[in-house]
This record gives sequence, C-alpha cells and structure tokens, in this order.
Amino acid sequence: MTPVRRFLCAWLVSLPLAWDSCGVQAAFSQAMDSDFTLNLPAGRKECFYQTMKRDASMEIEYQVLDGAGLDVDFSIFSPSGQLLFNDQRKSDGVHTVETEDGDYMFCFDNTFSTVSDKLVFFELILDNMDTDEDPENWKEYVHGIDTLDMKLEDIMDTINNVKARLSKSVQIQTLLRAFEARDRNIQESNFERVNFWSVVNLVVMVMVSGVQVYLVRSLFEDKKKIRT
Amino acid sequence: MQPCVLALLLLALFCSRAPALYFHIGELEKKCFIEEIPDETMIIGNYRTQLYDKQKEEYLPASPGLGMFVEVKDPDEKVILSRQYGSEGRFTFTSHTPGEHQICLHSNSSKFSLFVGGTLRVHLDIQVGEHANNYAEIAAKDKLTELQLRVRQLVEQVDQIQKEQNYQRYREERFRQTSESTNQRVLWWSIVQTLILVAIGIWQMRHLKSFFEAKKLV
Repeated sequence: MTPVRRFLCAWLVSLPLAWDSCGVQAAFSQAMDSDFTLNLPAGRKECFYQTMKRDASMEIEYQVLDGAGLDVDFSIFSPSGQLLFNDQRKSDGVHTVETEDGDYMFCFDNTFSTVSDKLVFFELILDNMDTDEDPENWKEYVHGIDTLDMKLEDIMDTINNVKARLSKSVQIQTLLRAFEARDRNIQESNFERVNFWSVVNLVVMVMVSGVQVYLVRSLFEDKKKIRT
Repeated sequence: MQPCVLALLLLALFCSRAPALYFHIGELEKKCFIEEIPDETMIIGNYRTQLYDKQKEEYLPASPGLGMFVEVKDPDEKVILSRQYGSEGRFTFTSHTPGEHQICLHSNSSKFSLFVGGTLRVHLDIQVGEHANNYAEIAAKDKLTELQLRVRQLVEQVDQIQKEQNYQRYREERFRQTSESTNQRVLWWSIVQTLILVAIGIWQMRHLKSFFEAKKLV
C-alpha cells in the first residue's frame, strides 16, 4: 500500500469514531438521545437501566399518553441504590442528573391502578458521554489543501452549528409528537364516552316513560274495582 | 483497501456497543415498544443479551443458543417482521404506512436450565430514520470528503424533519375531525333529547287523559 493510501485508509478507519452513528460526536460534545413508548399494564412496574460515565449528564423526560387518569409513579435510583427523584402520580415530568460511573435505574410504576393500562413515553438525552475518546486526532491524517484550511474551518463551524440546532429541532419535534398523541387519546376517549352515554340516556328515558305510564294505569285499575 | 474495509466493519461493530439502555426480561415475558413514525422511514434496532451467572454473580454474554424473537406490527395490526435472531442481533424494517408500529421482543428459550436466574438482561437501541444511516459506510462508498459528508447529514436530517412535519399535519387533521365530530354529536344529542322529552311528555298526558276518560274518572 502506498503511503497516501495508507493515510487515507487510516483516516477512513478513524472516521467511525467521529460520526453520529456510533453515538460519539466530533469537535463538539452533542447529546445522544433515544426515546421509547411502551404500554404499562395495570399493576405492573417496569424498570430501565442506563450505564453512565462520570461528569456526563442524563436528562430524562416522560409523559403519560393514554390510560384512565393519565398518571404514573416515577423514580430514579443512582448506581449505589440511592433514590434521587420520586414522582407520585404525575402525568409528565423532566429530570436532569449529573452522573457518576455506574448504572442508573429508573422505574415507571402502575401498581396503584387495578384496571387501566398506561401508555408511557420517555426520552433520554445523554450529554458529554465521550470523555475518553479524542475526536480531534483524525485531523492529523488530512493532508494537502493547506491554503483552504482556514476557510474550511469556518464553514465546518457553521455546519456543525446548524447540525446542533437541527438536532434540537428533532428533539422538540419528538416532544410535540408526544403531546399531540396524548391530546388525541384524550379526545378519542371523550368521543367514545359521549357516544356511549348518549345511547344509555336514550334507553333510560324511554324505559322510564313506559314504566311511569304503566304504574299510573295500574293504580287506577285497582281503584275502579273499589268503586263498584 | 481490503484490510481497510475490514477494519471499518470491525469498528462499526465496536461502535454498536455504545452504552445503550437495558432492561430485564423474564422467560415467558414479552416486552413491546411502540414507535410512531411517518411512512417510508427505516428503523434499525440493535440488541444484545446477557445472562446472569449465579456462580460469578454477574451478567455474562449469553450463549448463542439463547435467541430473541422479534415481531413488528404495523398500524393496521399486520405483522411486517417476524423473525428469530441470536443472542445478539440487529433487525431492520421500513414503514409503509404512517402510524404506530409495535416492536415486540421475547426470548425463544425452552431450556429452563439456562434461565436459572430467572431474568435475561437485554440491551436495546432503536434508531429511527436519519439516525439509522451508517455514515461511515456512505462516506466510504461515495468517497466523500468530510465537508460533503456533513452536508449530506444535514440534508438527511432536514428531510426527516420535513417528513415528520407532514405526518404531524395529517395527524392533526384527523384529530380536528374527531373533535368536531364529538362537538357536533354533543350538540345534536342535546337538541334531540329535548325534543324526545317534550314528545314523551305530550304522549303521556294524552294517553292518560284518554285512559281516565275511558274509565269515566274525568
């Protein structure tokens, strides 16, 4: 392999260390995020764990999208088992934790409900996770185009900026989607309730009028016999 | 360039072990996650399982025989992916209809002895849309410079945002239709209820009056 090829090869090989698909960011520490939506059956407790490094931060945002009172118990435990946050029967919440090394556990608790399942959405935003990687070292392998370097760096800075803002847009979009899903579920349950109780109302009204007429008639049937 | 590509692939594999969320799953337990996505969106899920070793009292990588069964249902409850994978796997699917897709995982173990601890630890990472692209691969295949790759990333990201917004517009329209339909029904029902009450009242009076007249009480 010629030296140029070798450098290009090394550069390409170091690329994965720098790209988003690995969850590690180059030139700026950006957040890694993942979101999940799950159905929490009645009377169940679901726990999730996340391995964290020290001096990183973890932001967790959750929302109850569907199910009766739209509330759930939430708690976060540190790697040493200490309770960090405890939310009782909240419909949504957000917590940020400055982390140490270890596995953090967070739990959604639906044990207080005996009949209704809850649909829970949560989003984890991790920051500063790449403390042990050196994202700048691949730049040493880029050769040639020296005169363009200064301008290129400015362009790169702008592009990185735009990327950061777009990631934030995506996060906000995810959140808005969760809000909308919750409102939609509320509305659909309203719709069903209106339908159901309207029909019940109609049936009850007709039955009551029939019963009333029958009772009054039967009252006067007896009286006739007494008269004669 | 062969060793180069190999090294790339190895690194890509290494990268897939970035710290992901994990949870415990029982032997017969099925864990389901719901993803609400627009159409023509690719989803890649990576998972890794570990089994609790009672002797060493820690979680070790599971034996290859212990696999996970992955089932994906589309918004119309139709199964679009139903496959078994090994103890470590990656599943991919593309949505064809917008809506809530359900991704379910359960273990395929029938050997109770392997599950002595009772729980299996599953590390899961689900990447949606633009996040699912493997840019290292794209860069290598299209021979892009860093700038070009960054711009490509931005374009994909904006595409994803736009797709999501279109889906949001469609959902909001359906939401509005449901609201308006509910409001209409409430209004319509109140009017009908009043009319029925009045009609029943009139009928009752007339019927009882004719009844009393017939019985010579009035």
